[in-house]
Amino acid sequence: MKIFKSLSSGALRSLRSWKGVLIIWFFSLILISVFVIPMKGTMRTGFGSSMITERLRDGLDIEVISDLGPYLASLASYFFSGFFFVIFLGILLNTFFAGGLFQSIKGSKDIISVPCFFRASARYFWYFLGLYFMIIFMIIFFAFLIVGLPVGLTLQSGTPGPMTFIIGIIAVLVFSMAEVIFLLVADYARAWLVSSEKPAFFKALGFGFSETFGHFASSFPMMLILMVIQLLFGALVILVIRSWTPVTGGGVFLLFITTQILFYIKTLLKAWRFGSVTSLKETNKNIVPPNPPGGAL
Amino acid sequence: MKKKVMPFVVLLTFAGSLHSQIINKEPLSPRITGYNIDVKLDTAAKTVSGTMKAFWVNTSSGTVPDIQLHMYMNAFRSRNSTLYKESGGSPGKKDLDLGWINISSFTDGNGTDLMPLIHYIHPDDANSADSTVLQVILPKPARPGDTVFINVDFETKLPSRIRRTGFSGEYFFVAQWFPKFGVYEPSGMRQRSQSGWNCHQFHVNSEFYANHSVYDVKITLPERYVVGSGGMLINESVADSNLKTLTLRAEDIVDFAWTAWPGYKVFTDKWEHVSITLLLPEARVKQVDRQFTAVKNALEYLTKNVGPFPWPHLTFVDPPTIGSGASGMEYTTLFTSMSADRMPEWMHMGEMVTVHEFGHAYFMGILASNEFEEPWMDEGINSFWEARIMDHYYGENSGLMDYRYLKIPDKAYSRLTYTKSDNRQVVSNNEYSWNYPHGTYGMMSYNKAATWLYSLMGVIGEKTTNEVFREYYRKWAFRHPSGKDFVNVVNEVVTKTYGDKFGADMNWFFDETLYGTGICDYRVSNLINKKLPSEKKMQENDSLSKGLPLNDSLYKAVVQMERLGEVMLPVDVLVHFKNGDEILENWDGKARYKDFTYLGHGKIEWVKIDPEYKNRMDVNFINNSRTEDPDRVLIRRFADKLIFLMQLYISAITL
Repeated sequence: MKIFKSLSSGALRSLRSWKGVLIIWFFSLILISVFVIPMKGTMRTGFGSSMITERLRDGLDIEVISDLGPYLASLASYFFSGFFFVIFLGILLNTFFAGGLFQSIKGSKDIISVPCFFRASARYFWYFLGLYFMIIFMIIFFAFLIVGLPVGLTLQSGTPGPMTFIIGIIAVLVFSMAEVIFLLVADYARAWLVSSEKPAFFKALGFGFSETFGHFASSFPMMLILMVIQLLFGALVILVIRSWTPVTGGGVFLLFITTQILFYIKTLLKAWRFGSVTSLKETNKNIVPPNPPGGAL
Repeated sequence: MKKKVMPFVVLLTFAGSLHSQIINKEPLSPRITGYNIDVKLDTAAKTVSGTMKAFWVNTSSGTVPDIQLHMYMNAFRSRNSTLYKESGGSPGKKDLDLGWINISSFTDGNGTDLMPLIHYIHPDDANSADSTVLQVILPKPARPGDTVFINVDFETKLPSRIRRTGFSGEYFFVAQWFPKFGVYEPSGMRQRSQSGWNCHQFHVNSEFYANHSVYDVKITLPERYVVGSGGMLINESVADSNLKTLTLRAEDIVDFAWTAWPGYKVFTDKWEHVSITLLLPEARVKQVDRQFTAVKNALEYLTKNVGPFPWPHLTFVDPPTIGSGASGMEYTTLFTSMSADRMPEWMHMGEMVTVHEFGHAYFMGILASNEFEEPWMDEGINSFWEARIMDHYYGENSGLMDYRYLKIPDKAYSRLTYTKSDNRQVVSNNEYSWNYPHGTYGMMSYNKAATWLYSLMGVIGEKTTNEVFREYYRKWAFRHPSGKDFVNVVNEVVTKTYGDKFGADMNWFFDETLYGTGICDYRVSNLINKKLPSEKKMQENDSLSKGLPLNDSLYKAVVQMERLGEVMLPVDVLVHFKNGDEILENWDGKARYKDFTYLGHGKIEWVKIDPEYKNRMDVNFINNSRTEDPDRVLIRRFADKLIFLMQLYISAITL
């Protein structure tokens, strides 16, 4: 019951944060466009007025791409350096806006203003960034421990066979569960930071862990539901986008609009997750733990 | 007297056996050389030792004072051999790592000891540390028609670092393992001005050259070893203490190699008259059908378009990972493929190597060109046929790879390797294999040659190209053609088919591609659609048509094209007008620039030089076409999807 109450409250809170989600969508589009638009320009210049692009209609044509010559070198450098730079900036930007997003979905039923959103983003940026790197480090460490090590050891002991495959599948499943827990820790910690009068990094992290494991029976299934929904949405979106290949200018414009709407929805789903965890945290706070046997505290 | 008669009787029996027919009804080749070898494999010492009786016939009109033999395995004797000096590597430090061949006895047919008359020579590089070519001064020079018999006791130690030949643990691939005659070339053969031996040292970037021979080979080895060879199994008998002796025979092949490993799984199949045997490790059993299909495709295609595969037996091997150094090599009726334990269905790498190596049964197996001196004749021609076979059977655009959004035709691999190489112009395609500079051997001998053969097919057509190769087979099967001989066949067939359409002969083509270093690049530099002022004025001054909208036919449309490279090849030019008209022009491609002007068709919408991409020598296909209205949709679609995927990705990794 608590789970569904938190989920529905989270959904309402995410809708309330539509402005923040809009800001996140807008800045992510600008950031990635800064990377993609010059690349598009390079491709246009490389192909010039050639008819060769007709050979790309059915997929990648290695001859056509290779014949781009020096333009291919530019495109490669976009991918190999520009791509990572944009990803890094994207991480900073999303981490920055996560502060505003958490602020806009906490307790109060008011829709926060844009300046307030930016103020909150700035206020919690360093805490959130620290949390991000800390949690990512833990996830990578656990990935190595849970997936890398057993699969690596199995591979080392002989030729890959069905056993390696089974061990790999089990390891990935266990790791996915662990990742759900890490997300819970991160979300609880961030929810605590924005609700605390004196935010503190390690206190937040400690709260994240204690809240996750203290209310595991409600937190974990709720997060699992949210993650499954997000994954299904992501898979569906990728499936649709992959098979949708418009051949006219209008069709491509429609593709652009659709993808951006889908990304907006995807960000709303993320806000739903933040909202649900925040709601659960607030619910948990109001529950007074029963007195231990013997009466006195 | 008895002493003299006995060796004669033995030799007569031996020669009789080598000239008899066991596999085919008639000899396929002149059989200038023949070998009868009886050896034992010592799996602990990694040696093959035994005796060899061999002969060479002087088919020239002159007297020959010596014989020359390849002693290839000595290339692995030290890092000072020509092989390792060229490669910069080392055969290894331990004794077990090294490879060598030692002769303990060498006599002629009369029993005369020739040991004092043997010495190593270094015809290619004067490297005195190289002992891969042995010269034997004959006690009596061989007169025209004489047969020189030799009896050799030898021991071959296999190297540990398999480079086509060697061992790895219990795995053995035994090639270049016995003293083998060079080719004596009478004057006139392969355009030689003077008769002489053609017997080159073992080089890092070179393969081989030999006469078609008959091989009778007996191999004794532990029973548990599974053996594959280029010969047909005649008999298998149990020898002492868990040993077995295999008797093998091969007729009219240029080299005899064999492999032994206890881990091989053996599969058999049949294509028309050919019994096919496949040996591979257990981990690759799932690929058996793919491998058989590939080799049968190649058999079918080459039989149809070049000539029959004359042997009734064929063995191929997919070496295990420990023996991967033996992968991708050909010994006519035995060849090695190259695969991996897991090879996805969409990746045709294993099939490609199988088709390629099988193709060598034709291009240097049957048509025994000199791989040392004209490597393009085997590797280049064979790569051309490999690409044709792969793209024919596995998809015109997916011969190499057939993944959903990434398809790679085999022919693209050759073209790109050549056209995108920085060294594509440093040397011509007609060079001794070890003389190709700056690592260009593979790119030039395989890829450039395959690419210009495609361009040749673009000029003379597929049907005529097949006829060229059929004629090449008819004329030169089981002989030793040179590059000039191939060119002469092309000239003959093309002239017969087209008269003087391409000139008196096709030498111009080979001068630019095979013997030249230039590149080929045609481009459309501009499209001009200009309204004719005079026509416009005429219309305005004409009372009947005045005020009517000007129609398209008042345009003067010009296509401007340029030849940026040195290579001049005739190309088709397809001009498409806005009103739907299409004109196919033929440009001889010789001038540095060429304009086509049109009146009465309206505006040109697009133009394509070589619209079917037949001229694969062209280093840049992008500039071959031009349109008034370029299609940007693909780029925009790609950019839109990329933006969205990056958004999703960043969102996913930022918790």
